[in-house]
Amino acid sequence: MSKLHRQGGAAHVFLIPWWLGLVLVTAVPLIASLYLAFTDYNILSSPKFNGLENFERMFQDDYFWAAVRVTAVYVVVSIPLQLGFALLLALILDRGLRGLAFYRSAFYLPSLLGTSVAVAILWRQIFGDNGLVDRALSIFGLELGSWLQNPSLSLSTLIVLNVWTFGSPMVIFLAGLRQIPEELYEAVKVDGAGIVRQFTAVTIPLLTPIIFFNLILQTIGAFQTFTQAHVVSGGTGGPANSTLFYTLYIYQQGFTNFDMGYASALAWVLMAAIGLVTAVHFVLSRYWVFYGDD
Amino acid sequence: MTTATTSLDSARARTTAVLRRRGRRDLLKHLGLGVFVLLMLYPLIWMIVSSLKPDHLILTEPGLIPSEVTFDNFVAGWNALNRPFTVFFLNSLLVTVGSIIGNLFSCSLTAYALARLEFRMRGVYLAITLLSVMLPMHVLVIPQYIFFSQLDLVNTYYPLLIPKFLATDAFFIYLMVQFIRTIPRDLDRAAWIDGSGPFRTFWYVVLPLMRPALVTTTIFTFIWTWNDFFVPLIYLTSPKMFTVPVALNSMVDSETQGGVGMLFAMSLVSLLPVLIFFAIAQKQLIRGIATTGLK
Amino acid sequence: MSGLDRRGFLKLAAAGALGAGLTACGAGDSGGGDGTTLRYAWWGNNVRQQNYTKALKEFAAKNPGIQVEPEFADYTAFQERMTTQMAARDVADIFWVASAQVMTYHKSNIYRRLDEVPSVDLADYSKEELESFKLGGQLNTMPFGIFVPVFRYNETFAEEDGVKLPPADADWDAWSEFLIDYSKDNPKQRKGMPYEADADMVFEAWLRQRGELLWSEDGNPGFTADSVRAWFDWWDKMQKAGAVLTLSEQEGMGPDWALVGKKVLAKVGNSNHIIDDAKMFPDYSFKLRSVPAAKDAQAGHPFLYYPRMAIYQGIDDDKLEAAGKLISYNTNDPAMIKTVGLTMGAPVNPKVFEQTLAAAQGDDKESLDAVQVSRKAERRPRFEAPPGTSTWRTAMARVAEEISLGRLSTADGAKRLLDEISAGIARAK
Repeated sequence: MSKLHRQGGAAHVFLIPWWLGLVLVTAVPLIASLYLAFTDYNILSSPKFNGLENFERMFQDDYFWAAVRVTAVYVVVSIPLQLGFALLLALILDRGLRGLAFYRSAFYLPSLLGTSVAVAILWRQIFGDNGLVDRALSIFGLELGSWLQNPSLSLSTLIVLNVWTFGSPMVIFLAGLRQIPEELYEAVKVDGAGIVRQFTAVTIPLLTPIIFFNLILQTIGAFQTFTQAHVVSGGTGGPANSTLFYTLYIYQQGFTNFDMGYASALAWVLMAAIGLVTAVHFVLSRYWVFYGDD
Repeated sequence: MTTATTSLDSARARTTAVLRRRGRRDLLKHLGLGVFVLLMLYPLIWMIVSSLKPDHLILTEPGLIPSEVTFDNFVAGWNALNRPFTVFFLNSLLVTVGSIIGNLFSCSLTAYALARLEFRMRGVYLAITLLSVMLPMHVLVIPQYIFFSQLDLVNTYYPLLIPKFLATDAFFIYLMVQFIRTIPRDLDRAAWIDGSGPFRTFWYVVLPLMRPALVTTTIFTFIWTWNDFFVPLIYLTSPKMFTVPVALNSMVDSETQGGVGMLFAMSLVSLLPVLIFFAIAQKQLIRGIATTGLK
Repeated sequence: MSGLDRRGFLKLAAAGALGAGLTACGAGDSGGGDGTTLRYAWWGNNVRQQNYTKALKEFAAKNPGIQVEPEFADYTAFQERMTTQMAARDVADIFWVASAQVMTYHKSNIYRRLDEVPSVDLADYSKEELESFKLGGQLNTMPFGIFVPVFRYNETFAEEDGVKLPPADADWDAWSEFLIDYSKDNPKQRKGMPYEADADMVFEAWLRQRGELLWSEDGNPGFTADSVRAWFDWWDKMQKAGAVLTLSEQEGMGPDWALVGKKVLAKVGNSNHIIDDAKMFPDYSFKLRSVPAAKDAQAGHPFLYYPRMAIYQGIDDDKLEAAGKLISYNTNDPAMIKTVGLTMGAPVNPKVFEQTLAAAQGDDKESLDAVQVSRKAERRPRFEAPPGTSTWRTAMARVAEEISLGRLSTADGAKRLLDEISAGIARAK
């Protein structure tokens, strides 16, 4: 009991910056936006309380549903692809190989570019009419024109963009692999374990907290994909709303349409959805994530 | 390799066979990785080539071999905004270094408390931390702006830096929590038994062990801050205060797409510091735990 | 304990040093001495930024005691920043107003009345002109340019391909037939125009010729679904006949001129665009035409579009005089036009206009001539977009896009556009 008490005291000293940040920077805007979700607020005049009107409006809003569909497809498809890629390359690059530093940097480069304005022009170069992909496919007699302007293909170009920027999760995986004590490998080697056994008995179990971390944070990030969609579609979410990501729609409502009340309501619905998905992940994590401190 | 050399012929033969096999496997690996790297980097290569073309050829002449090479884009871009680009570099550097210090300091303290210390409602704290990552920034930015503008801090770097010193980048807190949780608890329990308090344990035992996480935080903070556009755009109104991305943005006209060549040229130049930083930082990452003296 | 103390102390010291450095920077920024410092916010690309920064410096040099702090960003970023600043009531003293926001800001009382600022010099303007500047009966924004809708064509291409353009009095159908013919048979396989069924000003001209308005005086759509449908039909017919680029060929609505400039003979647009667009293709020469007029076009259909600037309502009273001077310099001083050029349209001051026209050459002259035609013509009044319509151009682009993709009929598209606009207006009331 006395030890717990002492730890509690120490904990609150450690948490001073966090507390200050919560009160000053995070909580007030968070509460403000929650309040705004129940108001009609056009930024220029003061907010007017309007009950659940914003939430009711969503059900009849075709754009809202389009945004939900686009975002859901994106999260479900791009996250496994991106993480799978990142893990695979992290494993390959973790083993001794000449020129590792070069590869690591090379693979990380796209992530550095990923959100710059230049990507819009770049992507058009690759997926546009007469772009790289179009020309390659026309060799096989496929004339698809611009992928970016084809409502059934445009979202896939954004998924490719996300997979292409797998650098961040890869770096985190690499750091995680480095964190695994060499002794543990030695221990199973003494028991005569081969590469595969080392992998399944040491690498994967010890990496699960990091896999879990990447899964949670990349999922949250994917739900909130904004910059890439904004850059590639020029902020429209076109063609035919096929790249109208949820946060892009929030942005349009809040910053272009000045409907900050509705935008806040949309944001809280998104937050609830992310919260739910994250909670499910946490529940499931009990079955597969292994912590060294258990 | 040298240790494998013995006087026994059979052993040597076996070793060279192994080496040859490994060499062949490495070659295959390099070949595969090389093709992959090319694929990944094609867009970047195209960008480099384009930055060397005159503006009007960039969109109309798609190939990788330019019919005309010029450095005009770099020269024009460097001076495009009434002052040399070095100003924006220095501004970005100031913000970035400040953010890194802030995040390392505040997030590691918070993460240690959340991952290791026992206190009431620890789970709630962790949940709040995660929750704050979930709300899209576009609805938070206006209340935050009102707050900072009331303190008369608009057009200074404080609104960009203060949040970093107050552990608001929950991503990193959570990252560090996950890393600390992979560290076997026996290690700090031992320190506890030796009579170290929580602060000594944090400083001497946990912090050295979470080096990969600290390096990762440094890398990501650097890159994300260096590339951040929206927040500096809103808080920094005076051109001499601009960071690199805000400066880059004011080069292109979103209506006509003029100035693409300059944009490419300056994007590449602004990529250089990030690249150099990453190349150095990742070496730290590789050294990782092996050199931190885990016994 | 000592661990944290040492670490904490180091970090805090670093933070403190950093903070001191920042304060030093901050102090350097706001230091204005005894004079007045005005914040001036505008948008554009780096060329426009350089030109206007230079012009503002010239203004400061001519007016000792006044400094101008520029706030600049590209069009989208400008609006993002502006929105945030509006929310915090921390807006530049003088700012350009994006067209969709003109009435929204007016309704929210963001503008200072300019006729109460003596240093805003209005002596050169006629009564009618001043009347046309007003919003809701108040002179609270100041136009600083004029442009009109036009058809622009590439004279070089026309000569190369040996085609003769429709006569000056050709109507809409004569043009579409000409463009269809052209696209069917020209050696370089160019198209007639990009697909721009969302070109708002040309659309407005179309409506006015039919006796309608884009926006009515009471802040509603001033047009019928029939007219919108006919507009979309005009484009649809050309699209089906292959006379305009497909969305794939032009990479979406609102195509980049740099991308499509080589692929088309003509395009619809605004008279000021020729200034920047022509520079991208220095080898070609471009000419402007007034938009075609229907045979039965209603009198008074021509109109002038004004980009506007305003003084912020919350400006310090002691800065007002200086702000008025800057507005006057922007609109009345030939030196300003000389430095910034005509990218924001023809000069709004009649004396400066005549003076500039007399000296103009090349693209400048083309653009001024086009404005002059409408300036001389009889014009019915024009009203700005009402609150709640700030996204109407996006809505129009979406509808045009879906029609082009074959997902929407022109009739349904027209109805959808009107419905969306009306819903927006209703919500803002």
